[in-house]
Amino acid sequence: MPPELSIVLSAVALPFVVAGLTPLLYRFLGEYVGYAGAAVALTCFGLLASQYGTEGPVELAWIPSLEIAMQFYVDGWALLFALLASGIGTLIFLYSPAYMHGESHLTRFYAALLAFMGSIIGVALAANLVAIFLFWELTSLCSFILIGHYTEDESSKYAARMAMFITVGGGLFLLVGLLMLSIVAGDAIGAAATFDLVAMLENPEAMQQGLRERGLFVPVLLLLAVGAGTKSAQVPVHFWLPNAMAAPTPVSAFLHSATMVKVGVYFIGRVRPLLVGEEWLFLFATLGLTTMTVCAIMAVASTDIKELLAYSTASHLGLMVAGFGFTSVYGAETGVFHLLNHALFKAALFLIAGIIAHEAGTREIANLSGLRRDLPITAAMTTVVALSMAGIPPFNGFYSKELLFEAAVEASHYHDIGLLGLLYPAVAVFGSIFTVLYSLKFLSLFFGERPEALGHVHRPGVTLLVSPAVLALLAAVVSVRPQLAIDAIVQSGVDATAVDPHEMHVGIPTSYSPAVGMSIVTIGVGLLAFPFYDRLHDGIRAIPHTLPPTSANWWYDAIVGNLTGAGAWFGSRVHNGLLRTYATWTLLATAALALAGFVATGAVTATVFGLETPLAIGLVLVVAVAAGLAVVTSDSHVAGVLTLSILGFMVAIFYILGSAPDLALTQLVVETLVLLIFLLVIEEIPEYYEVSLGEYARDAVVSVAVGATVFVTVLVATDARPAGSTDIAEAYANLAVPEGGGTNIVNVTLVDFRGFDTLGELVVVALAAISILTLIVMRAGGTGGADGTAPIEDSTSRTRGDDE
Amino acid sequence: MTTVIMRTTARAVVPIILVVAIALFVEGHNLPGGGFIGGVLTVTAFAVLYLAFGLDFLERGVLGRDVEPGKEPSRDRVVVAYRRIFEYGLAIAVGSGLAPLLFDLPFLSQTYWEFEGVPIYGTVEVASAMAFDFGVYCVVVGGLLTILSVVGAE
Repeated sequence: MPPELSIVLSAVALPFVVAGLTPLLYRFLGEYVGYAGAAVALTCFGLLASQYGTEGPVELAWIPSLEIAMQFYVDGWALLFALLASGIGTLIFLYSPAYMHGESHLTRFYAALLAFMGSIIGVALAANLVAIFLFWELTSLCSFILIGHYTEDESSKYAARMAMFITVGGGLFLLVGLLMLSIVAGDAIGAAATFDLVAMLENPEAMQQGLRERGLFVPVLLLLAVGAGTKSAQVPVHFWLPNAMAAPTPVSAFLHSATMVKVGVYFIGRVRPLLVGEEWLFLFATLGLTTMTVCAIMAVASTDIKELLAYSTASHLGLMVAGFGFTSVYGAETGVFHLLNHALFKAALFLIAGIIAHEAGTREIANLSGLRRDLPITAAMTTVVALSMAGIPPFNGFYSKELLFEAAVEASHYHDIGLLGLLYPAVAVFGSIFTVLYSLKFLSLFFGERPEALGHVHRPGVTLLVSPAVLALLAAVVSVRPQLAIDAIVQSGVDATAVDPHEMHVGIPTSYSPAVGMSIVTIGVGLLAFPFYDRLHDGIRAIPHTLPPTSANWWYDAIVGNLTGAGAWFGSRVHNGLLRTYATWTLLATAALALAGFVATGAVTATVFGLETPLAIGLVLVVAVAAGLAVVTSDSHVAGVLTLSILGFMVAIFYILGSAPDLALTQLVVETLVLLIFLLVIEEIPEYYEVSLGEYARDAVVSVAVGATVFVTVLVATDARPAGSTDIAEAYANLAVPEGGGTNIVNVTLVDFRGFDTLGELVVVALAAISILTLIVMRAGGTGGADGTAPIEDSTSRTRGDDE
Repeated sequence: MTTVIMRTTARAVVPIILVVAIALFVEGHNLPGGGFIGGVLTVTAFAVLYLAFGLDFLERGVLGRDVEPGKEPSRDRVVVAYRRIFEYGLAIAVGSGLAPLLFDLPFLSQTYWEFEGVPIYGTVEVASAMAFDFGVYCVVVGGLLTILSVVGAE
């Protein structure tokens, strides 16, 4: 059954529309605008749910001339992700008004949160490569606003900038990858499929073959992996995610658990049937397992509950990526099922962390313990979701982790990967042990002795409890009856992401298998090692202190700090407020670019040119050259300007002799005007000033370079038009009278045929006039720097380590 | 530059330049000329005036207004007028481009009409591009004069 365009479209558009209306709503509802957001999210959820069971593309013409359509594709996988985003979005919006009570900038907060949700739904449903990229970057943009919500706070700004830098930077890699895909698709499947992801997914063999024939398979795979990996915080760029905890907790819950960071995983799942193969396995399984292990270890080293959860998120994202990396059907099952499970338990955990921070007033793990007496309901919820995160049976995280073990063991049966066939399961177990450890640590916040230093802990209000309770309940339902979730949505997601889908079953294992053994080892070692948690914690924390380069954040600070420094240095050299510096750089850059362009395109060839110039033209040009020499040797400005005009007028005469009366007229008139303007301003220029030898040399180099460029350009440009009559030129000449009704071809071309160009030039003239006016007014107002050099602030020299 | 020779020459030359400029503009569609050249030539006429009589001549000598010394050039009434000219010019150019839309033609389509039996001239051809060209003329005149007067006042 095909989906309804109007419903899909409104589910994507509604959040954006309401985001635009938020300031208005805020005026009427005040802080309760969050509940309006919840209503919107719930509406989106309902709209999407009504499309349950449908599958197929729908499209709306967007830029028809470029064959770009607002194309959406609904299937189990897209629906699963979109429903998660809108469903958890609803709970986040319900939770926010109580949590954000009394904070400022709520309008911006809710507007950005709504737009964020809309772009996530957009990414989930979009099937056009351009639309995917658009929504993809929109999520980065919205998250930048959300992470940087506390605009006064340095760490908030630092984290927002970092998230933006990394995810948008990765998005550019994705863009290149998508463009390569589109080029290949245009050749392999047909021009109509250029940007159409659905068509590509329907013809995976043709696409793979096309990519391999052009040698683009590995580049495309790598580019998409960089895009998805940066978005989903894979090693080595995982560090932006823990830093992003500077955002308000509802944002963390939404961004870290359900939405943006999963966009990369979602996309990997989306293109999995298209690109899956041996390279795919090697790339994503390695990347995912490394991330899973490294971030799990980092989570054990965390001192802040949100930091622990953030590293754990990165670790679980690694698990999902590794799952999708394994080519067997278990891989797809791991990815899809864990995406659902993780969203349920991690969103709940973040909301619980928010409750703890809100009610106990601290997020330091060391200061928190024995909270179950103060927060009994929260403690009950935490038990479910933390054990689920640990992967303890029978909680839902266990099932998807079991699938990962299964996939890791199976990997060597599908591809000949040698030692890696053993290494993958071993690393999966090793990383999971740390998962057990930090999950138990989070749970232990509620048990044990209550420290003296901890003050009175309030009971959270009902509005704060509802959202995590719903999530914990859902996690419990999935834990008890996993088959329910699988039948409802996971199976259709697996069908969309797997190459060879088959019916999926999970349950508590009843007989021994390698995966069961791995689970027993994981949980057993985790439980045995838990008493030594503090020693492990201190040991891991000591590493980045003694060896800073082991911390990814250190590299970021070093690279970005150096870039900023280099940028400031470069800026002060190039943009120093002196007109002659600008002229030098602009002219030299233009000359270099133009010449490089000619060389690159092979336009410069040895041209033989004869000297059959008519005598008249020769004479005129000789006078012009003489005038040019006179300009250089003239000893007063007036003489220089006048001799320069001789040169200009000679050029005009040359045009007349070359039968171009229009050009000649223009040249004459402009030359006259320039001469007059020179005469007007010449009195202001000092009669004589000191010029050093170096400046002479520089000016000589610049003038020779510009002269040579112009010379070559004229040669190349005229050479490209043999006999001066291309089809276009002929068409203009033939059509001027019948179409334009004018016998002056130049003018008819300007106003009839190329009117739009002329209009553009008019705008340029008008802009020039306005900018000169503004410049003078601004100077008169004294707003410009007197010396022209603005102080460049170096704000990123501050460092901040992983280990803070 | 405000010598007697310069002033005398300017008096004779400026009207001629202006007439030539208008002729160039009107003839542009069929003979060398057009809005751009006509506009630049008009500006040249004004530039000669400025050179010969100074910047305040237009307001004081031609329009008979008082000029307060030392005020900002951008607030000058003449400069404001120049600015209006190019603003209106841009509006005319865009408007002439939009007009064909009313007749279901693409943006900036042009056409022309021929009128026969007009006294003195006989057959007269009027091109719709004339309106667009007039916009070009206005923008060039207004824009360049704004630049000229503001820079000249410095």
